[in-house]
Formats: sequence, C-alpha cells, structure tokens
Amino acid sequence: VTPSPEDLVGEPVAGSFRDPAGFVFRSGGVLYRQVNEVHRDAYDQFVASGLAQRLQAEATIIPFEEVDVEAATVGAYKVLRPHEIDFVSYPYEWSFSQLRDAALVTLDVQSVALDHGMSLRDASAYNVQFHQGRPVVIDTLSFDARGEGPWPAYRQFCSHFLAPLALMSTRDVRLGQLLREHIDGIPLDLTARLLPRRARLRPGLAMHVVAHARSQRRHGSDGEQMETYRKRFSDSSLRGLLDSLRSVIRSLAAPRGDSAWRDYYDEASHYSDDASASKESAIDSFLDQVAPATVWDLGANTARFSRLASRRGIPTVAFDLDPYAVEAAYVSARERDDRHLLPLVLDLTNPSPAIGWANAERMTITDRGPADLVLSLALVHHLAIGNNVPLRMISEYLASLGRYLAVEFVPKDDVRVRQLLSSRDDIFPDYTREGFEGALSSSFEIVRREPVASSTRLLYLLRKR
Amino acid sequence: MGNRDRIFVVAMVVLACLTIGLPSAGAYIDPGAGSFIFQAVVGGVLAAGFAIKVFWRRIVSVFTGKRPSDTTTDEHPTRTTSDV
Repeated sequence: VTPSPEDLVGEPVAGSFRDPAGFVFRSGGVLYRQVNEVHRDAYDQFVASGLAQRLQAEATIIPFEEVDVEAATVGAYKVLRPHEIDFVSYPYEWSFSQLRDAALVTLDVQSVALDHGMSLRDASAYNVQFHQGRPVVIDTLSFDARGEGPWPAYRQFCSHFLAPLALMSTRDVRLGQLLREHIDGIPLDLTARLLPRRARLRPGLAMHVVAHARSQRRHGSDGEQMETYRKRFSDSSLRGLLDSLRSVIRSLAAPRGDSAWRDYYDEASHYSDDASASKESAIDSFLDQVAPATVWDLGANTARFSRLASRRGIPTVAFDLDPYAVEAAYVSARERDDRHLLPLVLDLTNPSPAIGWANAERMTITDRGPADLVLSLALVHHLAIGNNVPLRMISEYLASLGRYLAVEFVPKDDVRVRQLLSSRDDIFPDYTREGFEGALSSSFEIVRREPVASSTRLLYLLRKR
Repeated sequence: MGNRDRIFVVAMVVLACLTIGLPSAGAYIDPGAGSFIFQAVVGGVLAAGFAIKVFWRRIVSVFTGKRPSDTTTDEHPTRTTSDV
C-alpha cells in the first residue's frame, strides 16, 4: 500500500517527501522517521548486517532507536526516533571546511556500507547535518543492498560536494553560494566552465568534473543503454572511485584571500583590552540572567563572544557574512572539540531564503527560530548606517529571531562609525542613543543597560514584548 | 555579392557554428545516464589504480613495519561513541 499524505497523523517535515522508502514527521513535538513497507528488506539488512550499529558507533550517522509509536500513514513498517539536530543548516551556509568534512563523511559512510554489502542511494549534501560539532549522515533510509553496477549517487556527490569545493578552492570562495541557486548541486558543465584552466587539468578534476560533464552531455539520452554497462563496473571499481574522490577532495586547499573581517579582533585597534573584558563580563551576566537554551550570535565574526555561550554547553550558532571568518571559527571549534558551536555563513541583509519545491523544502533563518537569546554585538551600525536599514525595521526583524536580545549600540562618535560615515552623507539624524532606544522599544522592553568600559558604547539586554 | 549579403552569409555561418554540437532540448536529457555510463567507462582504470595503490602501501608497510592504513579513516579521524 502506498502511503498518501491525506491520511497523515502528525506533521510531515518539509523537504522529506521525495523518498518512497520513508519520511520524517513530527508528532507531539517529537521528531520521528517512518520506514515504509517497501523499504523493509533494505532496512532489515541495514540493521542485521551490523552496519547501523557500526556507523552509530563511529558517529558518522545520526543515532536513532526503533520506537513503538503510531505510524504517520498506512504502509509503515517501522517508526524510528532519531536524535534531534540542534540547528538544521544547509550547504550554502557552510564554510569550505564544513562542506569538505561533510563530503568526507559521506565517502566514509559509503565505504563502510560497502563492507556490509550495502550502498548509499543518495549523496545529497542536505543528507548531512552538524551534530555535536561534527558532520553526520541523517538519512538512515538511504542504504540499499549493493547490487552490481555503477554508484547511482555519483552524479549527486560530484554536484553537491566536489563541484562547489573545487570552485571555492581554485576560483573564488564566494562561488559556494551557487548552491543556493542550484538546490540539486552545481551542474558539472557549469563547474567545468568556471574552473580555472590549471584546475581543469588536475587529473581528479579533469576526470570527475570535466570528462564527467562531457559524458553527461553526450550520453544524456542513452538511458536505455545503461543496462549494457552495468556489468562493466565491479566492486573494485567502486572502491577505486571512492578512493579517487577522497584523494581529489583532500587535495583541494582551503581558499585563502583577503578578508577585512577575519583579522578584526587581531588588529583590534578599536577595542582596548578593557573594553573587551567589560563586554565579555556583561555578556556572561546576561547569560546567567536569561539562562537560554539556544543562542544565535549575529555578526559573530570568528565567534569570540559566541564561545561564552557554547562553553556553557548551550547550543550556539555563530552567523557571519564573511566565509573566511566562518572558516576560522569552524576550524578552531573543531580543534578545541567544541561540540556546541556551529559557525555559519549568513548575510543578514539578504538572509537564507525558503527554497525548493513550493518554496518549502529549505527553511529561512526565521523558520528555524526563534532562539532564546540573540546576540547582536557591533552589528546594528553596519545595518543602519552601512545598509540604510531604518532602526525600527532592524528592531522588528531581530524580534522575529529571538525572545531576548543582547544588543550593542555604537554611537556616532565611535571610531568605527566615523569610518562608516566618512564615505557617505550623514542622513541618519535618528542614529542617537534616544533614537536607538525608541526604535527598539517598539518590539522590546529594556531589561538592563551596561556601559562598555573605555568606550562610549552601550550594551542592552532586551526582552521581546 | 553586396555588403549586406556578405554580412548575412557570415552571420548564418557563425550561427551554424554556434548551434552545431549543442545538446538537444533539456527536458528529456538525464545527466544521471551520462554519469552512469561514465563510471562504467572509467571503472577499469579506477579499479586498477586502486589495486596498485593498495599493493604499494603493503610493500611500504613491509619496510616501515606499519600496518597499511585503512582507506576509509586515515587523516579523517571519526569520533567514536565512547567519547560522545
């Protein structure tokens, strides 16, 4: 019996409707994954072969347990309860190393699956999420019996992982944003056109991107001939393919470039040690007072202040528009084994939109909130003066993201604001302490106001009305 | 042949050059078929390359005394549940 969405119990989760093997739904506030009857044999093999247990032990797939709860539709075989991810993020929000680690974990999982006579049916970057600081494969229903022939997920792996990594590494880190436009990965013919000539000649990229793209164009209508090729691809070929993909991905260096922001705290000419320490202690006492379950740090740079929250074990997302700052924050969190910090790329003046089928497959940032506490430190002057966003609109948007807001006001006499104003007319008569408090009070009430030592800046703790 | 005719002929030749070799309309083109066939074409080379690599690692391990590294986990340590 094919389950149909009409007789659904509970809420299906957006973006989980394509797979006949099952889907994710939410019931009574708890997230479940239904395994459909059609996927019975594959699921049984996944468990009986020891693959499920081994991947969970290696922490490369999301842990889950079988539960005895009502299935969401008819045609169900089992219901699973996976550990819930603190914050769902998408590949176009990841830095280079985050996407690279997600690619490597996908290859690792596929290699281990082969040891157990199984294989991943999909290699979508959306099947990977960051859980306790590391990437894990979340789609427990992606495993099929190996069978024979080529890897059906090869195209997807190359478009979702290899293409953006190669472009970010060899051309420009900003090309990672092409993933936002191409929800099923960057087309390989486009990638081949965008790669620098030298990169196109590197053996791994020449094969998996350039020649692969050519074959897609040449054999695009040869679907009927696929069967004749099946026998020509053995398990050793698949092992070779995975090893080759792993090598080429490892050989791609993290992009380096000038970043005005990455060295922001290092140069720190605008911050005395005094001011930093006073800001840190104010944030710490805000954290004591609010005791948030989740924290979002907007404009987090390399996540210096986000760490005040993550070191308390609070799931903390550190957003910044600069991919180099996010990269530095991720690499540092990985080294420190900080399991509660998730750095992500986000431009607040154009935040992640809802994309995909019916604009409902991937969520906006607002859809993924609200957070208990939003940090917005040294940020508002960039939005208000750098981007001409009226203070009242900034206040309304921040109120849609969190229950509490810790916000820093940087007045016009501050060196940074003077810098912003040096290249534009001062058309911001309301950008004063009174104007700032007035604009915020439309959505918030002021809980506390703290001066930042050795500066004219102010820190506010606000509660949403 | 007047100038205008010459321009027309040149334009047609250029247009023909641009369109020859373009794939037909995309709706029925499945890049997955090309990816599938591509793997079958390069599969033999990949298998041979991998066999040589594994063989070479074994030889090296005889001299260095190190166990040949497991291709799934080297350089990319996975965390085990014991430390989660």
